[in-house]
Amino acid sequence: MIAALALVGLALAADVPPASLALQSALEAELARVSGLRLPDAPTPWLVSYDVLDGPLHYAAAEDGALYGTNHTVHRMLRAQVRVGDAVVDSSNFSSFGGPDGVQLRALPEEDLAVALRREIWLSTDAAYKGAVELLSQKQAVRRGLKEAPPPDYEVLPPTVVAPGAPVGSALGSAAVDALARDLSSAASVGVIEAAQAEVRDWHGWHLTVASDGTRAWRPAGNVVVRVQASVRRADGTEVRNARWWVERDASALPTSEAMLAETRAMAARLVEIAAAPDPEPWLGPVLFEGPAATELFSQLLAPELVGTRPEESDDSMLIGGGTPRARLGRRLLPEGWRVWDDPTSRSGAAGEYTLDHEGVAPHRVDLVVGGVVKDLLMSRIPGKERVHSTGHGRGLGDGRRAAIVGYTHVAAPKLLPARALRRRALDLANAAGLPGVLVVTRLTPPAMVEGLEFAMSGDAPLAGLTAPYEACMLDKKGVCAPVRNLRFVGVDRRALRDIVAAGPGPGPENQLDGPPGTGRYTIGTTGGIPTTWSVPSVLVSELELEPAVGGEPRVIRVERGEK
Amino acid sequence: MFWLALVAIGSRGALAAPEAQGDVLATMRTALEEAEQKLEAATAREADDAYALSYEVVDHRETTIQGSHGAAAGTVGSRRRSVDVDVRVGSPELDSTHKIRDESMFGGDERARWIVGFEGPLDPLRRLLLRATDDAFRQARSRLLKVRSNAAVKVAREDGSADYGPAPAVTHIAPPAPVMVDSAAWKATTRELSAIYLQWPEIIDSAVQLVVTEDDRWLVNNEGTQVADGRRHLRFATWATAVADDGMELSVYDYVDVASPDHLPSPAAMEAIVRGVAERTAALRKAPVVDPWTGPAILRGRAAGVFFHEIFGHRIEGHRQKDEDEGQTFTKRVGQPILPAFLSVVDDPTLTRLAGEDLNGHYAVDGEGVAAERVSLVDHGILRNFLLSRTPIEGFPRSNGHGRRQPGNAIVPRQGNLMVQAEGVVSFAELRKRLVAEAVRQKKPWGLLFDDISGGFTFTGRSTPNSFVVQPVVVWRVWADGRPDELVRGVDLIGTPLATFANILAAGGDTEVFNGVCGAESGWVPVSASSPSLLVSEVEVQRRAKGNDRPPLLPAPMASTAAASR
Repeated sequence: MIAALALVGLALAADVPPASLALQSALEAELARVSGLRLPDAPTPWLVSYDVLDGPLHYAAAEDGALYGTNHTVHRMLRAQVRVGDAVVDSSNFSSFGGPDGVQLRALPEEDLAVALRREIWLSTDAAYKGAVELLSQKQAVRRGLKEAPPPDYEVLPPTVVAPGAPVGSALGSAAVDALARDLSSAASVGVIEAAQAEVRDWHGWHLTVASDGTRAWRPAGNVVVRVQASVRRADGTEVRNARWWVERDASALPTSEAMLAETRAMAARLVEIAAAPDPEPWLGPVLFEGPAATELFSQLLAPELVGTRPEESDDSMLIGGGTPRARLGRRLLPEGWRVWDDPTSRSGAAGEYTLDHEGVAPHRVDLVVGGVVKDLLMSRIPGKERVHSTGHGRGLGDGRRAAIVGYTHVAAPKLLPARALRRRALDLANAAGLPGVLVVTRLTPPAMVEGLEFAMSGDAPLAGLTAPYEACMLDKKGVCAPVRNLRFVGVDRRALRDIVAAGPGPGPENQLDGPPGTGRYTIGTTGGIPTTWSVPSVLVSELELEPAVGGEPRVIRVERGEK
Repeated sequence: MFWLALVAIGSRGALAAPEAQGDVLATMRTALEEAEQKLEAATAREADDAYALSYEVVDHRETTIQGSHGAAAGTVGSRRRSVDVDVRVGSPELDSTHKIRDESMFGGDERARWIVGFEGPLDPLRRLLLRATDDAFRQARSRLLKVRSNAAVKVAREDGSADYGPAPAVTHIAPPAPVMVDSAAWKATTRELSAIYLQWPEIIDSAVQLVVTEDDRWLVNNEGTQVADGRRHLRFATWATAVADDGMELSVYDYVDVASPDHLPSPAAMEAIVRGVAERTAALRKAPVVDPWTGPAILRGRAAGVFFHEIFGHRIEGHRQKDEDEGQTFTKRVGQPILPAFLSVVDDPTLTRLAGEDLNGHYAVDGEGVAAERVSLVDHGILRNFLLSRTPIEGFPRSNGHGRRQPGNAIVPRQGNLMVQAEGVVSFAELRKRLVAEAVRQKKPWGLLFDDISGGFTFTGRSTPNSFVVQPVVVWRVWADGRPDELVRGVDLIGTPLATFANILAAGGDTEVFNGVCGAESGWVPVSASSPSLLVSEVEVQRRAKGNDRPPLLPAPMASTAAASR
C-alpha cells in the first residue's frame, strides 16, 4: 500500500529531458555528407531519413509481488533509412529473407558528443546505403516479367518542419514502475491462483525525424502500458487464464493505482469463479460480444480490412508477407447502415491520437466504411492501386516499414438497443434456434497473450481467426449468466461481422497496442507496440461455433499458498 | 559443436547489492521436504518413485559500463533469479534421464526454465519449487516409460554403467561478499579510454567496457546436501574493428578477467591494453593473408590452452564415453599413451590463481553438490581419468565434481581449470629456434607462431568429422631465412585430435592462462585453459570466413580532428 500511495505522488514526476539539439546537429552533419555515397555502377541515394527515439525507459516485471525483471535505462535508438532509385521504383517495399536491408537500427550513445553520435550515424548510413543498392537490384530482378507495374514506392510530399516544444508526457519513474508491478502482481496472487504476473512499461521522450527532403520534425512520443495476467490450474489439469491491461499516452491518463488494484482483484476473483465452472460444451449459436470483447472483435477482424498498404514484395512470397490479407474497396464488411471512420485528430486524449505520423504526415479523418461497405482506406506514403495519397496513418516499429495502421477508429451501428434489450434480442435468437441460452463473451485474449506460435513468435503472421475468450458466460432466460470456460472459436474470419444482427452501447473508447505485422508488434519490453484506440458498440452475432479447449495432466503435488 | 568463446553479454539495470531477505536455503529445504512427502503420498501405489530430487537457485546480477568513441554509451544491468529442479524417477541403475537412442529430434522432452522474483517474501519461491517439482516429476515419469521401451527395442549398450552414482552429502556455506564498484568513476574511465581509438582513422568501430557479474547460488538435495556460495567476476574488455581492402572484417578483442576489483588492471595498464588493440587492428589491416598451408608452428600458451580445451578437454568429458553417438576418441585408451611423455594434463577447479591470474574455472562444489576435485587426466602422456559428474561410466563409478551447467540446462561433466603441464621445458627463444630448424628440416620457407586466439570449437560426434578449429587473432610468419617475423591474417588452425597430438615436439616454460566461457550441452560455463607454449611439427591452416563488404565509403566523421591528437 505504501508503494501504491507513492505512485499517486510520483505520477507527474516527469523525467523527460529537453530535446537534444546536439543530436539534431549530428544528424544534419552526416546528412550533409550523403551526397558523397557512391558505389561503382550503382545508383546514389535519392532520399535519406533518420528517425531517433530518445527518452528514458522504465520497465518492471513482477510475479507474486516480487520483481523478477527490470530495465531502467535511456532508450536512444537510431533508425537510418537510405532509398536508392526514385520515388517510382526504389529500394523500399521489398524484403530479402536474411539478406541486405536499406534500414539500419543502431543504439546511440547517451551523451551528446558530436564525434560519438556522428560515428554511429555514419556507420548506419553506410550499411543502409549498401543494403539499399542490393535490394533495388533484387527487386528489379524479381519484377522482370511482371505484366503490370506495381504502384510507385513513395509519395513525395512537401517537407515537414516542426520545432521542438516543451517536453510532454509524465513519466512514472523507476521506483513507481517497480512498485506498480509488484503491487498488481501481488493483488492478483490470491487463493487458488497458481501464478500471477504484472508488467509495467513507461517510455517517454522524443521522436525526431531528419530527412534529406528537408523534414525536421520533433514530436513528443511515448506511452505507458500495464498488463496483469493470472492463471489457475484446475484439478483436472486444465489451465484457465485471465488478464487486465491498460494502454495510455502517459501516466497521468492511467487510472489511479487504487483503481488498477481494485480491477486486478476483480479480475482474480472472476478467474477463480470461471475456473470453477463445469466442463465446457461445444457451442453453435448466437454470441453476444460485450465490453472489451467487442473492441477486440473489431480490432482483430476489422482492422486488417481497413488498411490500404500493399504487402511487401519479396524474393520469396511464401516466406515474407505473402499471406497478408488485402483490404478491398467495395467489399461488404458489415450489415447495411454501419459506419466506420478513423480520426486520430480528435484531441480527446486517447492513446491512438497523434499530430504527425511516423512519416511526418499530419493525419486526417477517413470515412472507411459507409453503409457497411468499404469506401476508403488508411494509407501511409506507400501508394496503392486504389488509393495513392497518405492519410497520415503511416506508423511502424523498429526497422519495419511505415505501413498504415489504425489510429482512433470509430465503429457505429445504425441503431443501438439498450443493453437489456440487446440481451433480450440475443435470448430470442437462441430460443428460435432451440437453445436454452446465449453465449455472452466479455473479454477475448489479446493477441499479445495468445500462446499459439502464430502470435508468440514475432507477430508477423496475420491474425488467424479470433482469439479465445478469457471471460464468457451462458445467459439464460432468467437473466442469470453462468461462467463458461475453456472455449475457442472455430472458423471465424471477417465474414462473421456481416452476421451482426444487433448492437448496443459499447464499452467506450479503449486503447490497445498494435502495429504493422512485424517484430515487436505485441511485445512491450522496450518500445514495442503502437497505441491505437477503438470506440465500438456491443454486438450480437447470429451464429458462431466454439469448441472446448481442455486438457493437461492433473498435478501430483498440490500447492497451497503460505503466508505472504 | 562445442565452443570456447569470448562473449561479453550486454545487459541493463544498475549496480546493486542483493536486498536483505530471509533464508533462501531454508525455504528450499522446506519445499524439498514438502515435495518429498507429497510425492511419496501420491505415488505410494506406483512402482516408480522420485528417488533423487535437487533444487538449485542462482541469483545472477550483471552490470556493463561502456564507453564508445569518447562518449558514455550507457550503464546497463540485469538481474535474474533462475530455478533448476531435477527429479529422477526409477532407480540409480535405470532412471528417467537415461539416453533414448535414435530419438527423434522433435521427440525430446523440453526442460522447463523457471525464474522467480529476486526480492520480497520467500513463499513464492517455495510454491514455484513445488510446482516445478510437480512438472518435472510428471515429465520424468513419462520419460521413464520411453526409456524402458527404448531399452527393450535396441541392442545392449556397450557401457552398462548405472545412470546415477553415489556421492556424500556436502555442506558448504560460503556466500561471497558483494562487489563494490564506483560506477561513476568507471563511466569516466571507459569514456576516456574509448576516445583513444579516435586517433586511428582506420578503426571504424570500438568500445571499452567493464562487466561486473555477481552470482549467488543455493543448492539442496534429498541426500542432505546444502550449498550457499557464489561467484564474483569482473571483466575489463575492449575491442576494435577495421575492414581490410579485401572486405575482411578485422576485430581484435582484449580483456582481463578477475575475481575481485583489487585485481583489475591499473589505469596505465588499461591504456596499454587499449593502445595495443588499436595498434594490432591497424597492423592487421595491412597484413598479408596466408593461403591454406601445413607446416611447423608454435602455439603460445593461451593458444595452446584453447587447443587442448578443444581437442582434448571436450573428449574426456564423462558422458561422451557412454553415449554411442559420440566419437569416443579416448574411451578405450585408459592406461595407454595418448600424448608425449613430457606432457601431463590436470583439471583443477579448486585452484583460484595461476601464473599471476585469477582462474575463471574455479568453484568449490559442482552443480550436483559434489566437492570439486583436482583430476589427473593424463600423467606423463598416459590417459588416467575422465571428467565426471554423478552419471557413472564403465570403470569410473564416482563423480569427481565436474557436473556443471548454466541455469536452465541439465548437468553434464565439463571442464573447470584445464592445465597442461610439461617437463623438460625450454625457453621461448629456444622453442623459436627449434621452430626455424623444423621448418628448414621440412624444407619449408617459414613456420607460424600463433600468438593469441579468440576461441575455437570442435565436433565430437560420430556423424560429423572429429575435427577442431582454433581461431587465432594474432599470427606471425617466422621466416626460416632470418627475415623479421611478419604479421599475417585470415587463417584458422584446423585438425583432428589424434594426429595432432602425435606432432607435439616440445614445450616452453612460459605458462599462460586463457580465461573464457565454454558452450556445450549444459550451456555456457566459465572455464580456463592454461598451457606452456608448444612446438608442433605440423599444423594445418585454412582460410578464415570473411565478410565481403567494402570499407565505409566516406571517411570517419571528424577523423582529422581526432587523429591529430595521436
